[in-house]
Amino acid sequence: MGSSQPDTTTAGSTATNVPLVSDNHKRRMLHLKTKEECRLGNETIQVWTVELPSKHAEGILKVIKEQIEGQDNVDLQHLRRFAKPKYLPQHVIGKRDLIKEMYSVPRGWESTPPTVIQAPSASWEWSSGNARKRGVDRSLTLYLLVCPSNIIPLREVHDLMLQHPPFCSSADSWAYPLEIKEVTVPRLAPTSPEQADEWSDQYWPTFYRKTNPFGAHPTSIGKAEADLEEPIADNVSVSAMMELAEQAGTATEKLGYGISTGCVIVERADDQTEIIAVAGDARGKPLPSEGGSDDANIDTSFEDAGDKKTGGAFAKKTARKRRKKKEQEIAKLAETNACTSGNVMCHAVMRAIGMVGRKRLRVASQPISTRAAKAENGFYAAGLQRDEKARDAFFLDLPVTPLEQQYFTKDNLKPDGYLCLKLEIFLTHEPCMMCSMALVHSRVGRVIFKHRMPQTGGLTAEMVRNDSGPVGLGYGLCWRKELNWQFMCWEYTALKYASGSARQHVDGKASAAGYVARRTGATAGVQAKGAGYYGGEIDDDDDKDDADDYPEHTTITAASSSAAGDECANSRMHSLAHVHV
Amino acid sequence: MVFGPIPDREYHEGFMRKAIEMAELALSSDETPVGCVFVHAGEVIGRGINGTNASLNGTRHAEFVALAEIMAKHPSSILRDTDLYVTVEPCIMCASALRQYAIRAVYFGCLNDRFGGCGGVMTVHSDPAVDAAYPVYGGLFREEAIMLLRKFYVQENAKAPDPKPKKNRELKTEILPIATPNIATPGGSTPTVEKGKIVVPILEKAAVVAKAQLKS
Repeated sequence: MGSSQPDTTTAGSTATNVPLVSDNHKRRMLHLKTKEECRLGNETIQVWTVELPSKHAEGILKVIKEQIEGQDNVDLQHLRRFAKPKYLPQHVIGKRDLIKEMYSVPRGWESTPPTVIQAPSASWEWSSGNARKRGVDRSLTLYLLVCPSNIIPLREVHDLMLQHPPFCSSADSWAYPLEIKEVTVPRLAPTSPEQADEWSDQYWPTFYRKTNPFGAHPTSIGKAEADLEEPIADNVSVSAMMELAEQAGTATEKLGYGISTGCVIVERADDQTEIIAVAGDARGKPLPSEGGSDDANIDTSFEDAGDKKTGGAFAKKTARKRRKKKEQEIAKLAETNACTSGNVMCHAVMRAIGMVGRKRLRVASQPISTRAAKAENGFYAAGLQRDEKARDAFFLDLPVTPLEQQYFTKDNLKPDGYLCLKLEIFLTHEPCMMCSMALVHSRVGRVIFKHRMPQTGGLTAEMVRNDSGPVGLGYGLCWRKELNWQFMCWEYTALKYASGSARQHVDGKASAAGYVARRTGATAGVQAKGAGYYGGEIDDDDDKDDADDYPEHTTITAASSSAAGDECANSRMHSLAHVHV
Repeated sequence: MVFGPIPDREYHEGFMRKAIEMAELALSSDETPVGCVFVHAGEVIGRGINGTNASLNGTRHAEFVALAEIMAKHPSSILRDTDLYVTVEPCIMCASALRQYAIRAVYFGCLNDRFGGCGGVMTVHSDPAVDAAYPVYGGLFREEAIMLLRKFYVQENAKAPDPKPKKNRELKTEILPIATPNIATPGGSTPTVEKGKIVVPILEKAAVVAKAQLKS
């Protein structure tokens, strides 16, 4: 695994405990490609084309529309049906053909409008043509995009063309030389005028229709980026929210509750932002059934030493020791009791969404709360147990750290909103499939995450980039037509990647609790091979202490990109790589 | 094979009947009529109906409600030897959660063609991933599961931001059959877990075929 691009952070030379929170000012929002947009980049289709004198263009088009079946199944509305030779790339036109040029010279008798010699009722395509000027400004010939070449064999197109003018001799002209060419064209519509221009030069004249059928409209994306990167007045900025999400993750990790991932949810109403919910990951907080406390409330036992950082070196050391001990306890507990992933329900996203629901209930108007209470009662009428403590301990949608508490207690949510409709979500890491779909179910508006999770993330649509190798699973849940909700999504990435087109990185910042380190180490291929019920061999190396030494970006050269999936097995990717966050 | 033959079908129908009962209760309390039970060693250890209206939380699906009941008494590791019976195919979110919790197997009634995660829209249960895949078996009391949903969806959703009037909606009763499966499901009453190894049928292709047949 080479490094094609030197990274400023040199492994090993920096201090071991560099806080996560220092580099946000060097980052920018980079809008994720949607699943469909990913198809766009490389998807092309082969079509038949034919050159013909322009006066016969519509006649032949009519023949094609009537005689070739199945061409409407492929939407090529973004391509010009007829193209003047001067707008075509050289490889489509080919060499100059003097014979054809001779045939396409207009002859005297041809300048007579054909309608004059046709019955007045004739509905021929060119019947309106008598109003047109057939002057020298008109192209002598046009190229016609016949149809995709996979729906009809060359021989059949050939035979069909030969039956109709200008390719057969007719009363007013002799046969024009038929040459059918197969040409490569873009399969799907472009998403910007620049892309349309590029494709026009490269393939075939292409339209941009000022919409993006495959993702959010560029205007909405630009608006969101402006809102968050240059906030007005007291509104929150993306960097501040990312800091907060990181603090939330650090806070729960310090308590030994989980890994250091965090989530912040913001409401933007009347151009003003309010922080609605802040949550860190708490998958490692043992359930009452696993020996944990049945109290979902804030555990303050570490607050003095761990959070306030006021004590001397001794206090810090003690806190560290206690923390380590707690981590070990949790790891041990989890090994014997919990499933290997811990309490999946306590991923930061799930907890934060849960907190929004709790807040909604709190600020709801009378009719809404009555209805919710009725539903709740129906629930118990159904014979389900009313064990609120157990439920809260499982979902943990109540604050567990002072930081979470601080935002949870504010009644700052607009009353009677729907789920998380159009709320903005800030995440330290790309969420797993469960959390990604939870965001879809919750109807969120904008999602920004800092670190890609190529092994577990559900939002990234790209799977492999030519320049950097594996980047994600390819689900792209933020914008799937199949689902009933789409939202805009950004990666909050290093400035140098966001600004240039040559992004060459797989993001993966290390921060690992021993809890995580013990239970990861699965490679992407493991499950496919059917080995390991626990998702792979247990990683015995206690690498939590040097995890922070890893370079911020693991750069992968093009040469290694063929070895998809290997990067985690042998690279210095952090131990979160295989964890759902 | 999502709709493959299910060994010991009657045994599994017994538990699916309980899931259907839960869904009926959900319908009577205005929740989306999806019901489920989790079964461990032949015993129901958790039951659930949708809790989205009570919690104002769109992620509170029946599966999660049932998991809360289970984990009040049991460690989450119990799920390794637990099967889920749910009237509608788990959604993408639940399918992923179940996989992360290492569920043993999932039995369901009808496909969820809006956001199903076990063959309906995606195949989260069996896609390559860091967690072990789990087998799914569909089609247990499928017609009843569909009818429950239809009864619900002819009602209006007053909670939606822009409720659609549905006065003209009629309750359709015709249900198209699913085509006869042509791929065998691995033998045994429930999938067996050997140490470090799980028997997993290959489902993706079959699911796609089943879906295509369902649509046609």
